[in-house]
Amino acid sequence: MGIMLSLQKVTKIYPGAGHIKAVDELSFDLEEGEICTVVGPSGCGKTTAMKMINRLILITSGKIIINGRDISRLDTIELRRSIGYVIQNIGLFPNMTIGENIAIIPKLLKWNKAKIDEKVQQLLEIVNLAPDEYRDRYPNELSGGQQQRIGVARAMAGDPPIMLMDEPFGAIDPINREHLQNEFLKIQEKVKKTIVFVTHDIDEAIKMGDKICLLKDGRLVQFASPEEVLTYPKNDFVADFVGGDRTLKRLNLFTIKRAMKDNPPVIHQDETIDTACNMFSKTDTRYLIAVDGEGTLTGIIDKHGIPDKATRVKDAVAPTNAWLTAQSSLKDGLSEIFTHDYGFLVVVDDVKKVLGWLHTEDIKETLKG
Amino acid sequence: MTLRVLLRLVKRLVPVFLTILFIVWLYTYYGAWDYTIKNIPEFFKLVYEHFVLVIISMFCAALVGVSLGTMMTRKSMEKVSSAIMAVVNVWQSVPSLGVIAMAYGFLPLIGLSGIGMVPALIALFLQAVAPIVRNTYAGIDSVSKDVIEAATGMGMTRKQILFQIELPNAMPVIAGGVRTATAIIVGTAPLAFLIGGGGLGFWIFTGIALVDTGIMVAGAVPVALIAMLFDYCLSVSEKFLVSRGVRTNEVKMA
Ligand SMILES: Nc1ncnc2c1ncn2[C@@H]1O[C@H](COP(=O)(O)OP(=O)(O)O)[C@@H](O)[C@H]1O
Ligand SMILES: [Mg+2]
Repeated sequence: MGIMLSLQKVTKIYPGAGHIKAVDELSFDLEEGEICTVVGPSGCGKTTAMKMINRLILITSGKIIINGRDISRLDTIELRRSIGYVIQNIGLFPNMTIGENIAIIPKLLKWNKAKIDEKVQQLLEIVNLAPDEYRDRYPNELSGGQQQRIGVARAMAGDPPIMLMDEPFGAIDPINREHLQNEFLKIQEKVKKTIVFVTHDIDEAIKMGDKICLLKDGRLVQFASPEEVLTYPKNDFVADFVGGDRTLKRLNLFTIKRAMKDNPPVIHQDETIDTACNMFSKTDTRYLIAVDGEGTLTGIIDKHGIPDKATRVKDAVAPTNAWLTAQSSLKDGLSEIFTHDYGFLVVVDDVKKVLGWLHTEDIKETLKG
Repeated sequence: MTLRVLLRLVKRLVPVFLTILFIVWLYTYYGAWDYTIKNIPEFFKLVYEHFVLVIISMFCAALVGVSLGTMMTRKSMEKVSSAIMAVVNVWQSVPSLGVIAMAYGFLPLIGLSGIGMVPALIALFLQAVAPIVRNTYAGIDSVSKDVIEAATGMGMTRKQILFQIELPNAMPVIAGGVRTATAIIVGTAPLAFLIGGGGLGFWIFTGIALVDTGIMVAGAVPVALIAMLFDYCLSVSEKFLVSRGVRTNEVKMA
């Protein structure tokens, strides 16, 4: 895991724009496989900073190093072909089919036809569009969200180690955007590209970034992990920009697994009620979590809700929805706790086996760090 | 399903069929058959000349028009192109007969003959090139900036962008220009006779001069058929040249 992309005092002054520095001595390093979200108010220089990396905009001073090589020494065309590029307005080629759009870079790189076809197939699968159905369609026959996915697939076709994405989901409605973000993160799990991801939306920056690069008036204000930006905003501008609810936003960064306690009061559903009462008196809990032989959640027993004629735990168990998987976010966890009356939440794995439980105090602990 | 296709075919073919029927009837009614058969060698010569006029002027106009229109969209030509565009716009409003007359009057001034096939070709060419230049320029200019930026950012060269992106995407508009140009050429070609350019105009004007409708129709009917033939050829070639992804229902006219 070396440094893949390094910006060193990168500065851009547009000619004739009153010598204002659109980007002012911007420096940061990005490791291989990381997503860096570049975020800031409109006009702060995000697009300019990004486009200097593939030389769509010429650098005024400073250096950009990719994989140890100064890009000013590389051939522009070759440099661009080694960098995946997704623009805000998608920019699919209307005259080409979806398959041809995706194949464009491999063709420029003179791959053979079999390899190109295979790549197109594979990428369409990755972005969840059935290859046989979509390959021969034209961009104007696709929805905005589908086009955007093709835009991403096209940028990945040449197997570039680096991708630049300028507000790739900016033009998409919130529901589809969330869906695309999740899908993209899943894709990134598989492909592990080094990505510069421009957005004006701080929530998107937090969600998508391994690192956040926060700009203001062309200058770098903070470069850190989302957690750090939310926990320790560098100054009032950052605190303001991430919003007053930044603590709540941090809930999105953690999984339940991280906060839960793994010693829940569990009882087998075939035990007698006496055993349960024993457990109630030994611990100060009001609720017990009932499981079956496999350890799978079957329900919850309320100390004050045991029917008189119950002899087995089974007879006293009330089925419950108060559970989530350990991979869910703390935000969902908190919401779920507040939805039910127990004051806690059962944490389970994929097959509903009980792993632990979660209280609001556990969440507070985790946020404190 | 097949019935619908058949119905559509019939709907399209019936008007064509009726038109041809009408033309043939006109042809027979005025005794143009007789005149044509009596003068069959001349008929073939005139048809040949007519084709030469139309095809050569069309070919040159398309070649020059698309090249010039494309060049005008290049960044370095920005200043020149608005001037060329102004000329083209004025030029297009000059009526065909005027251009023929001007060729006749002007060419001798620069030491060329004003009579014969060459001046006729030049006049036809000048008429046809304007809409092609105009539409090529407009077509390429209208290709989305995002598309160009994506292509550039992905590492396509200027030439690749021109041939793989800009021209194919501008093709419906360019094709519209070529159609307009063809209509102009086919319509003007009979006038070539007036400056000794040959072609079927000879019979038309002879017929008019002799007040002999038969001779006139013997010239006019093949002219009409040739026009239809060219229009058909164009619509077929458009199917090949214009990608389905950029095809529009309305053909843009210059
Ligand atoms: N081609 C240009 N010429 C002059 N100024 C520009 C140009 N492009 C952008 N700018 C200016 O540079 C600043 C940064 O722009 P940009 O990088 O597009 O910001 P962002 O993407 O963060 O909205 C803005 O003040 C903008 O007005
Ligand atoms: Mg921008």
